[in-house]
Amino acid sequence: MKRRPFAQVALACLGTVLYSSAALAQVDLTGDWALASDQSKPFQVFPTDFAGVPVNTQGREAGVAHSEEQSEELYRQCEPWSQSYILNGPFAGRFEAIRDVYGTVVGWRLSPPAYDRLPNTIWIDGRTPPSNNALHTYAGFTTGHWVGSTLVTSTVNLTDSFITSNGVPASDQETLRIFYTRHGSEMSVSGIVRDPVYLDAPWPVARTWELQLTANASLQPHYCQPAEIVSGLSDGYHTAVVLPDQMREQMMYMPRHYGIPLDGALGGTQTMYPEFQKELAGSYKRPSTYCTEICR
Amino acid sequence: MASGDDDVNISRMRVVAGRFGATRLVGLAGLISLLFASAPLWAQGPRGPSPKPIAAENEAPIDLTGYWVSLITQDWRFRMVVPGDGEYAAVPINSKGKQTADAWRAAPDEAAGKQCEAYGAAVLMRNPERLHITWQDANTLRVDADKGMQTRLLHFLPPPPPPGGPPAPFRAPHTNAPPSWQGQSVARWPSVGAGGGLGRAPAANAPRPDSFEVMTDDMLPGLLRKNGVPYGSDTTMHEWWQVYTESTGERWLTINTEVYDQEYLQKPYIYESIFLKEPDGSKWGPTPCSLTS
Repeated sequence: MKRRPFAQVALACLGTVLYSSAALAQVDLTGDWALASDQSKPFQVFPTDFAGVPVNTQGREAGVAHSEEQSEELYRQCEPWSQSYILNGPFAGRFEAIRDVYGTVVGWRLSPPAYDRLPNTIWIDGRTPPSNNALHTYAGFTTGHWVGSTLVTSTVNLTDSFITSNGVPASDQETLRIFYTRHGSEMSVSGIVRDPVYLDAPWPVARTWELQLTANASLQPHYCQPAEIVSGLSDGYHTAVVLPDQMREQMMYMPRHYGIPLDGALGGTQTMYPEFQKELAGSYKRPSTYCTEICR
Repeated sequence: MASGDDDVNISRMRVVAGRFGATRLVGLAGLISLLFASAPLWAQGPRGPSPKPIAAENEAPIDLTGYWVSLITQDWRFRMVVPGDGEYAAVPINSKGKQTADAWRAAPDEAAGKQCEAYGAAVLMRNPERLHITWQDANTLRVDADKGMQTRLLHFLPPPPPPGGPPAPFRAPHTNAPPSWQGQSVARWPSVGAGGGLGRAPAANAPRPDSFEVMTDDMLPGLLRKNGVPYGSDTTMHEWWQVYTESTGERWLTINTEVYDQEYLQKPYIYESIFLKEPDGSKWGPTPCSLTS
């Protein structure tokens, strides 16, 4: 076989230059980031408050039957949130570059400061996600690419979890798209949660993060040791749910405390759009007394 | 056609390649080219000539024009309805702001014709509404909101110098115009490479920014919430606007906002607004300002 060393050298140079160019076209995300947004504090802590979430009938029914005590169950105490908790949880995290042996950045790792979600490893080296039949985990599998100065990530292979902390479930078909755009010491984080099983439409959520040297000072490997918290509940056999005769009581939480009509509180795609204000006009009862919960 | 000397040189190269091993030679060449390719990373200081006046519309890396609908997926009970008296959660209000809000009532302000105080620039993008975005001229982006029938004008300035250069002023030029609900807004695309390149100076091929920032001042004092949470006359606002396009064709506009008000806030009030691009203006519905709905 005829050898062509010059052609090989030229090809190698070209390939390396192109590869390096792609690697250089990145923004540095490294650092300890903290949640700066005031919006959505508190984070969906009220029972059956699904307003603005495009939840479908299945998701709504599961959410209404959700009990806060579920997280106290022995086998659920160490269960992390889904990766969508990046968007609606109280923490940001630490971004670190993952490099290959040549120093090229092949991925980014976003580590949370608390044991509430697993680190998110974002591969940007062009690898393809595993098959949908592969193992689904709480971390899922995340790939990313740069569009302009924005890191666009896509997470698949997630296991069943929750989309909201007050009980809207997430199926193993949940996917997550996040756009990270850094602006100096701030970062715009916009995400879109999709779940064909429990959501009727994409659910967009946005956040602002800021660099803080001490934001994730406590970041270290976390170990979770379950322990019996609620007597009789954590025996491994019983499951905490809201019983049917208590569901009505739970559903009326938002109407009773905040005057939000049930149609709004129970969520759905229509509740995200401005037109829904017209439906609220006749049914919303503005609370006449000062609120006593989660107020400053 | 190669000369005789060239033939000799090529023969020598083949010998060298043979002794050294083609694989090693390729690797060495790759290493050298990597060093050259990385060179821009190590360059420090500003690059290139200072920015020239340009038409922002022509330079815009993202297209914002068209109709957008806000999606209220966060802070729903503070945005879709008028929250109850005293409901100040998620606003970093200070004690003076709380006293002012506690004493506020809608009726006197409505009688005084101040219905649009809850539609000022500090909160306009947060309302449930539709936007119609157009270029009013080559350097002015016009943002019309149907709810409250308000208009913001974003006057684009030249991009700032690259990181390391002298800071460029980023404020609306002083005018004798009286303060207004929407104030004066200036905007600019970031310099290419802003945001850093793995901690070093921007490379020549640094990613082009796909967002822009807006600074607003000269606003009339208004309301952050329709239950009386105020902002003062010296309030300023900083925003980042960015457009994301999904593989499905959906286009999302996200605006990250910081409201600065030393009179009524403990710290900057930070919130985000999300809009989805609509195909046309068929759902555009102008409605006047109201403090009660």
